[in-house]
Amino acid sequence: MTAAQEARPTGRPAKPPRSLALPIGVVAFLVITWLSLSEEIGIGLNVGDLIEDAGRGLDIWAEFLEPNWAFLPDTLGPMLETFQMAVISAFIGCAVALPVSFLASRITAPNVAAYIADRSLLSIVRAIPDILYALIFVAAVGIGPLAGMLALLFFNIGVVAKLLSETVDGVDPGPIEATHAAGGNRLQTTRWAVLPQVLPNYVAYSLYTFELNIRASTVIGIVGAGGMGQLLNAQRAFFRYDNMVVIIIELFVIVFVIEFFSIRLRRRLV
Amino acid sequence: MIRFENASVVYPGGVHALKNVTLEIPDGQMVVIVGLSGAGKSTLIRVINGLVPLSDGDVTIDGVSVRHARAGELREIRSRIGMIFQTFNLVKRTSVLNNVLLGRLHDAGTLRSVLGWYRPEDIEIAMQALERVGIVEKAYVRASNLSGGQQQRVGIARALAQNPKIILADEPVASLDPPTSHVVMRDLQRINRELGISTIVNLHFLDLARVYGERIIGMRQGELVYDGTGAEADENVFRDIYGRSLTADDLLGEPAAAPA
Repeated sequence: MTAAQEARPTGRPAKPPRSLALPIGVVAFLVITWLSLSEEIGIGLNVGDLIEDAGRGLDIWAEFLEPNWAFLPDTLGPMLETFQMAVISAFIGCAVALPVSFLASRITAPNVAAYIADRSLLSIVRAIPDILYALIFVAAVGIGPLAGMLALLFFNIGVVAKLLSETVDGVDPGPIEATHAAGGNRLQTTRWAVLPQVLPNYVAYSLYTFELNIRASTVIGIVGAGGMGQLLNAQRAFFRYDNMVVIIIELFVIVFVIEFFSIRLRRRLV
Repeated sequence: MIRFENASVVYPGGVHALKNVTLEIPDGQMVVIVGLSGAGKSTLIRVINGLVPLSDGDVTIDGVSVRHARAGELREIRSRIGMIFQTFNLVKRTSVLNNVLLGRLHDAGTLRSVLGWYRPEDIEIAMQALERVGIVEKAYVRASNLSGGQQQRVGIARALAQNPKIILADEPVASLDPPTSHVVMRDLQRINRELGISTIVNLHFLDLARVYGERIIGMRQGELVYDGTGAEADENVFRDIYGRSLTADDLLGEPAAAPA
C-alpha cells in the first residue's frame, strides 16, 4: 500500500481520509438502543417473559378471527362521518396551507418579518400532535365530529405547509428572474412563475393528507372526536373484539382503496 | 438612451465584476458584447434592468437612474426592457401563451393577472408577438413540448409583448445548435431594425458577433476594453479582448444562410 502511495503519479491527489462520522453514529445508535432495553434504566425487555406471556392473548385472538358481520350496518354511519371529516379538513386545510407555505419560503415571502412570523407559527402548529388537537377541541366544542374536523384541519395545515414550502424553496429560479425582469410584482411572480412549478406537488400533498386523515381519524376518535375511531373505542370498552375486527377490516379496505387511486392519480400528475 | 456612468459592481464574495464602466447606447442600436466567461458581460446586461444592483456609479435610462429607483419605479423601468435568457427561463408547465403573457403583467393589473383574466387587448398583443417570431400556432401548447429554438422564440415573444424600448439578451444562442442560432439572431436583428428597439446581446462566438453586431463592445475582467463597429473588429481586436490567441472554440463555425 505504501508502495502504491509512493508510486502515485505527480498531479493526482492523495485519497482523502475516511470520515468517521458514520461508524461513530452507528455505534452510538447501538449503545443507546441497548441501554434503552436494559432492566436498570430502560424499558426492561425480557425475552423469557415475552414467550411465557405469548399465549395470554389467545382468546382475544380467537374472537378477532370471528368477525361479527351483523355489526357491519352499524358502522356505515360513523364511516361516512369519518370520510366527511377527512374531506372537509383536507379541503380547507390545503386551501389555507397554500398562502401559508408561500409566506414560509424565502423565495416568495414579501419580507423577512413575515417569513419568520409564519415559520414560527408553523413550528408551533406542527409541534402539537393530532391527538392533542383532538383533546383540545373536544374540550372546546364537545365530543363529536366537529372536534375531529378541527383537529384534522390543524394537522393538515401543518403537514401541507411544511411539504409545500420546501417544494417552493426548490423551484427553478429562471422563470422567477424572467418575471422580475418583465416588471412583474411579487404576487404576480408567485402566481405565474412559482405556482405552476409546484402545482403537481400541491395536488399530490392534498391527496396524501386526505389519506392521512382517514388513518388519523381512528386515533383521534378514541378521545371522542367522532367517526370510526369513536365507534372503535366504544366497542373496545365493551370487549366486543368481534365487532372491532369488522371496523379494522373495513378501515383496511378503505385506506387500501384510497391509496390505490391516489398513487395512480399522483403518478399522472408529476 | 442608456448611459453608464462609472458603473461598478462588487459581488458579496468580493468579485469585482464591473469596474468603472462609462458607456452610452443610443436608441435603436444593436450592440453585441463579447468577452470570455467571467468577463462581466452578464453583469453589464443585468445592471441595466437592475437585476444586479450597482455598487458604485449609476446607470440611467432616458435620464432615470436605475440605482436610485424605488421598488415601484424599478418595475416601471423593467416593464420597458425585455429580457432574453440563455436557458430561456420559460415556465415549462404552462402554455406558450401564458408564458408570453408574462410580458403583459406590468400593465394587466395585479388582481386580473393573478386570476388569469387577461384583457382581450393583452392577449392580442401576446398573439401578435408570437406571430412576429413565427410560432403563433403553438400558442396553446405546453412550453415544455417545444424544441430549444422554439422555446427561445417564445422567450423573444415574451420580451416583445412588453412593447419594450430596449431588449437585453444574455447569451441567447449558447444553448442552441448553429443553424438555430442564426435563426434566433436574425429574429433579434429583424426586431431591432423593424421596431427600432435598442438591442444589447451577449455573445461569445466571434463570427456571430461580427455578423450581427452593428457595434461591438469588448469586456475583459470587468473592464470595457473595446468599443467599435463590427466591421472594424478584426482578429487582432478579438485577440486583445480575449487576452489570448483565438481558437476554433471561439467560432460558431457555420456561416449564416441567406435570409429567408
